[in-house]
Amino acid sequence: MSDNGLTPELMLDMYYHMALARAVDDRMWILNRQGRAPVVYTSNGHEAAQVGSAFALNRGEDWICPYYRDLALVLAYGMTPREIMLHLLGRADDPNSGGRQMPAHWGHAKLHILTGGSVVATQDVHAAGLALASKVLKDGRVSVAYFGEGSTSQGEFHEALNFAAVHKLPVIFFNENNGYAISVPARKQMAVQDVAARAAGYGMPGVIVDGNDPVKVYEVVKEAADRARRGEGPTLIEAKTYRFVPHSSDDDDRAYRPREEVQEAKKRDPIAMFETKLKEQGILTDDTLKEMQQKIKDIVNDATDYAEKAALPDPATLGDHVYGSL
Amino acid sequence: MSGLEQDAERLQTMYYYMVLSRELDRRIWILNRQGKSAFVISGQGQEGVQVGAAMALDPTSDWLAPYYRDMAMVIAFGMTPREVMLGQMGRAADPSSGGRQMPSHFGHAAKRILTGSSPVSTQVVHAVGLAWSIKLQRQSGVVLTSLGEGSTNQGEFHEALNFAAVHRVPVIILVENNGYAISVPVEREMAIQDVAMRGQGYGIPSVVVRGSDPLEVYQVVKEARMRAVRGEGPTLIEAKTHRYTAHSSDDDDRSYRPREKLEEEKRDDPLVMFREWLETEKLWDSEADKALYQRVKKEVDDATEYAENSPQPEPGTLYDHVYGSSPA
Repeated sequence: MSDNGLTPELMLDMYYHMALARAVDDRMWILNRQGRAPVVYTSNGHEAAQVGSAFALNRGEDWICPYYRDLALVLAYGMTPREIMLHLLGRADDPNSGGRQMPAHWGHAKLHILTGGSVVATQDVHAAGLALASKVLKDGRVSVAYFGEGSTSQGEFHEALNFAAVHKLPVIFFNENNGYAISVPARKQMAVQDVAARAAGYGMPGVIVDGNDPVKVYEVVKEAADRARRGEGPTLIEAKTYRFVPHSSDDDDRAYRPREEVQEAKKRDPIAMFETKLKEQGILTDDTLKEMQQKIKDIVNDATDYAEKAALPDPATLGDHVYGSL
Repeated sequence: MSGLEQDAERLQTMYYYMVLSRELDRRIWILNRQGKSAFVISGQGQEGVQVGAAMALDPTSDWLAPYYRDMAMVIAFGMTPREVMLGQMGRAADPSSGGRQMPSHFGHAAKRILTGSSPVSTQVVHAVGLAWSIKLQRQSGVVLTSLGEGSTNQGEFHEALNFAAVHRVPVIILVENNGYAISVPVEREMAIQDVAMRGQGYGIPSVVVRGSDPLEVYQVVKEARMRAVRGEGPTLIEAKTHRYTAHSSDDDDRSYRPREKLEEEKRDDPLVMFREWLETEKLWDSEADKALYQRVKKEVDDATEYAENSPQPEPGTLYDHVYGSSPA
């Protein structure tokens, strides 16, 4: 194997989390179309970027500040499918927010997944703040902000990166560039080809990586995390990827991108490509794949049933986490 | 060159604006220390940038969206010393805001100077919006906005530049980098050497220019203006300059800037450098300089007296420009 530290077992585990995320994602859309889940934000197409980056971190120790598209990321970071479904269906036991926030507002204190606000790019500032805390406390942790390319046009992105660079903070800014800010194509979003080009304006390295290759993503995130832990400051990583489905369950992407473009992008489906690679390397066989698929199906069914039967929040708890007492 | 170097009269006018604003600025400090003026934000040391930039524009079609340090710029763009003093003393006839805003919040609708607000770098967003409207209405002007290097760390700077680049609006973003954001030295504001490096992240051409040379500034602003007029979009210009005073009349820069550093900065004084250049070119001599300072002193005296004798705003107009009619 290569010297990146990825054993066959880890690569198989990576694949498992990518496939699991896709299956959970597909189920969420079904639940939405059945009227059982209010809204869906998908990671469909982004799985390699998200899972590859999670595996490069000290999971549970380092902090991640995800955005709404990071289902595969939080699964790989330790959130269970049951927890995901509790959140989607707004149940009392949802560890993200006890059924308070919109679906896909990930947060899990024990797993070091920072809760976020709905306003895009605010998590960049939060990650910089967490990294400042790590620097002050010398706790050896790295924090990672995840965001779409559209949110790099927000002022918060700029302020967070500048601050992180000045103070040499242990933080990684991980951009999942899927080419669309909801319906706005990247060429109408910015006058540069690559988000990574912005790094030079802050004095930090800007790295472009194939977001459909989990191993390459793993390697660049690992390097950025090592840099951060050595006290050399932040890195901006741009993972080029694609979103195979609409922005959300309330969006119809046929209005703004041709089907041919989507079909073309699907030829580079990260899950299919990784499957082929693992089979070529003898890490994955047809039998283990079949077994894994059955296991995933069972897990997704269990998570759905579990969440559907779980209690909704007690109306009496409405003021919890907002006011000391009502 | 664009002909300016052959135009003795305009070169002398350039120097005149620099001297006039320096002397006006010095007078304002005196008025502040006498208790006659509320607050001073000084442009001393930055006259080369400001006058060079303003003179590269066309005041009949272009707009300025300045920041608080731009007194020399607004003067070279057409604001009179009397108007500056009326704003400084908060008089009713102040064209910037009728005595409402803090001093140095320059604005003059008739002279195409956009009014601004106190949070730094909001003017960059306004300038881009103004430039966008010029583009949509197919007008011929451009907008020049200016800001300190500290403001380039604000989110508004980022949002404005990104939008300007995407929509190729006719705007010039002029950063007057004097090395200090109030008391914070530039190396603690940003992890890069030049603000101009930020341009590439937006796809905006960027230029670094020596701020003590008004001709060099004039030239780069002229070129940026031509680009904008041709529909080629924004330009980011970083002028390396100096601030010879404290940030404001409520600041003491001795607590963060060694006197030796200030002395060194003063060796790059745009007024001195430009006068010496004019003398070398046989366009100026000590006689002319003496006469100019006498003329300027009269203008500054006149502006001071005029503003001091001018009435304060009527208390009955307190709500003007805020509410349609008094809520009381």
